[in-house]
Amino acid sequence: MADDDLDLNSLNDDDLVSQMHDDLYDGLKEEIEQAVNILLARGWTPYDVLTQALVEGMRIVGEDFRDGILFVPEVLLSANAMKAGMAILRPLLAETGAPKVGKMIIGTVKGDIHDIGKNLVAMMMEGAGFEVINLGINNAVDNFLKAIDEHQPDIIGMSALLTTTMPYMKVVIDTLKEKGIRSDFIVLVGGAPLNEAFANAIGADAYCRDAAVAVETAKRLMADRQGSVQARAQA
Amino acid sequence: MSDAETLQSGRRGHGRAAKRAARMAHAAATVPFITRQIPIYEVLNEEGLSLIEQNAETVLEEVGIDFKGDPEALAIWREAGADVREERVHIPRGLCRRIIREHAPATYTQHARNPARSVVMGGKHTVFAPAYGPPFVHDLDRGRRYGTIEDFRNFVKLTYATPWLHHSGGTVCEPVDLPVNKRHLDMVYAHMRYSDKPFMGSVTAPERAADTVAMAEILFGADWIDPATGKPRTVVTSLINANSPLTWDATMLGALKVYARANQANLLTPFILAGAMAPVTVAGSTTLTLAEAMAGVAFTQLVAPSAPVILGSFASSMSMKSGAPTFGTPEPAMVMYAMAALARRLNVPFRAGGAFTASKIPDAQAAYESALTMLPACLAGTNFILHTAGWLEGGLAMGYEKFVMDADQAGMLQTMLNGIDLSENGQAMDAIREVGPGKHFLGCGHTQANFESAFHGSAIADNNSFEQWDAEGRLDQAQRANAQWKRMLQDYEPPPIDPATDDALLDFMARRKAATPDSNV
Ligand code: B12
Repeated sequence: MADDDLDLNSLNDDDLVSQMHDDLYDGLKEEIEQAVNILLARGWTPYDVLTQALVEGMRIVGEDFRDGILFVPEVLLSANAMKAGMAILRPLLAETGAPKVGKMIIGTVKGDIHDIGKNLVAMMMEGAGFEVINLGINNAVDNFLKAIDEHQPDIIGMSALLTTTMPYMKVVIDTLKEKGIRSDFIVLVGGAPLNEAFANAIGADAYCRDAAVAVETAKRLMADRQGSVQARAQA
Repeated sequence: MSDAETLQSGRRGHGRAAKRAARMAHAAATVPFITRQIPIYEVLNEEGLSLIEQNAETVLEEVGIDFKGDPEALAIWREAGADVREERVHIPRGLCRRIIREHAPATYTQHARNPARSVVMGGKHTVFAPAYGPPFVHDLDRGRRYGTIEDFRNFVKLTYATPWLHHSGGTVCEPVDLPVNKRHLDMVYAHMRYSDKPFMGSVTAPERAADTVAMAEILFGADWIDPATGKPRTVVTSLINANSPLTWDATMLGALKVYARANQANLLTPFILAGAMAPVTVAGSTTLTLAEAMAGVAFTQLVAPSAPVILGSFASSMSMKSGAPTFGTPEPAMVMYAMAALARRLNVPFRAGGAFTASKIPDAQAAYESALTMLPACLAGTNFILHTAGWLEGGLAMGYEKFVMDADQAGMLQTMLNGIDLSENGQAMDAIREVGPGKHFLGCGHTQANFESAFHGSAIADNNSFEQWDAEGRLDQAQRANAQWKRMLQDYEPPPIDPATDDALLDFMARRKAATPDSNV
């Protein structure tokens, strides 16, 4: 809750958007939901609410996280507020045919239970507006396939912290290739014992050393894809 | 007797050749494991310790602890009187403590194939072992790269050649060049062949634990069974980590059962990254560590009463600003002091510590953070200090220079733990009488008799004049350590092994490798 009984309705659009940036920064979930609804009621397009209010607010959060001003538990609250706003916007965005932020499934691969880093990535991705389906730990290839069927993601994220489980990422990628669906997805991999060379060798799209890089990379690759989809559509 | 002492010519010998040989010898001198002679440093009083104990019992009873993917484990707990709901085990107050105090041995001997190198875990003893688990290795010449079996063998050899490490450790680095389903065989063999110090077994799958036990049986041959007990001698200690918070998983439990049933030792460690895996306070992390460790240790005793066991604590904190693991910070040191005291009240051996650091290279950060973990670990009365040498980058890299630097420090700590010699020789009254006022002690009888072992000398510190240091190329500690590990590897000579035993080990490995295709999953 904000410290005073501020009525968000009383703010003009500019002030409300600035207030939303502050509320995202402070991790105020209900206030964000309320403000999103107010802007929509005032006739804003879902896409403008997303980009001008939410994404811009989280950009500021991300910057201060990077600079060591914000702490992880604070960013967690910000990401939750963002997620709540996105839950309202997502169906509307789909209806209006706005460019997708993107949907990700993410899991730790079979034999591995390390999940702290993976959960941080999931949190930061949600904070950036992605829809994230967290598959948890110890995921065999079948789990990934099932989740792909069920959720139709744009991005598949795999995490491994053990040299004994890293090679399993290749099993998942090879299975996607066998099924002829590898190029339908962006595959991101991460975990401290990996490196870029390994990611290349197994045929992933990118290795991300941390959650912030994961977000940047996902945004970049999504933009490339949507560009290429549009390019294809135009051709 | 060195060869130089029995010269053919009939001369007296000694002189330069003998002394050079003796003083330059980098061969694996045996320094016995430590028997501490200084008091234990306590940070909590009775009231504080019992508060944490009470809280840990509450956690076990009220919150419960998961034993995942192992129906047998759940049946064992139900039988023992716990309230098992699905995979969550609620353990009545006091049950774990009672089981542990009744069955778990206070000390045990881990036998080495060279009996002179066997170690005693627990009581007043401290045993140092190298770092465990790093997927990368680092040295000044080649930088950071994935570990290979050659690196693995190198670290086994370096550990063997280091007098201050009493134990060969386990996964001294991960040999990423070998197939995942077979690399444990080469790792266990390396410890058996290139060292004669005690070692650790594979835990990444129950069948890999079983391979370790089978190879140990071959290595020890006729000595495998202790005629006094009719049970196998304890020759392997293996690392079983809890998946905190409050979870023991099937992989680890599977390995644990294999070892406990073969009378091999399990080292049960809640490995806690406080902030993510435990509350952010020292008391909270300690409570969770104690609850998890007690449940794990009690479980080993339910599986195999009186099977040797160590209660472990791996405490680290997390940067709340980035999520990165941090090491050598003061709060985990406090957890170590408290956990050591709590383990003593359970009367079981205790593991903690290590030369921890998040630094990527053997620099000042690495040295400070390591020192600030090793010193409290030693003062706390820790019995088994895994990760004593080599750890870099939060356990992601094993450093060659770091290894040498840490081992050097371990020697210093060992001398400190030996306490003050109050024997007649230690009192040195004869020296003071002989020299009297205004002269010096360098030539007196007492000094002549004691100088060689008087002060623990570092093999890599530079104490010379500025000019000499300058003339010798202005080397820093890491550069001197670089020369040292190369020399150690060059001088390395493997301990002898009975060729028939060696053949039997190689044959076992060949058969196991042939039985299944290579696999990386
Ligand atoms: C905490 C920890 C544990 C905890 C895990 C708890 C949990 N819930 O996750 C516990 C104690 C359970 C554990 C157990 C084990 N561990 Co462990 N563990 C660690 C440790 C210290 C830190 C990992 C961590 O959480 N880091 C913090 C997070 C924030 O960083 P991160 O995971 O790297 O994630 C970041 C990036 O990598 C990236 N990222 C991660 N995933 C993904 C995914 C995608 C898609 C993207 C884009 C990015 C991305 O973004 C993240 C956020 O910035 C590491 C050492 C280390 N310094 O990394 C060892 C380590 C990984 N463990 C190791 C080992 C050996 C084990 C055990 C086998 C030990 C044992 N004998 O019991 C078991 C294995 C259990 C199993 N079956 O998996 C070794 C592995 C090395 C190897 N040889 O392969 C290490 C290196 C330590 C060591 N030297 O022993 N471990």
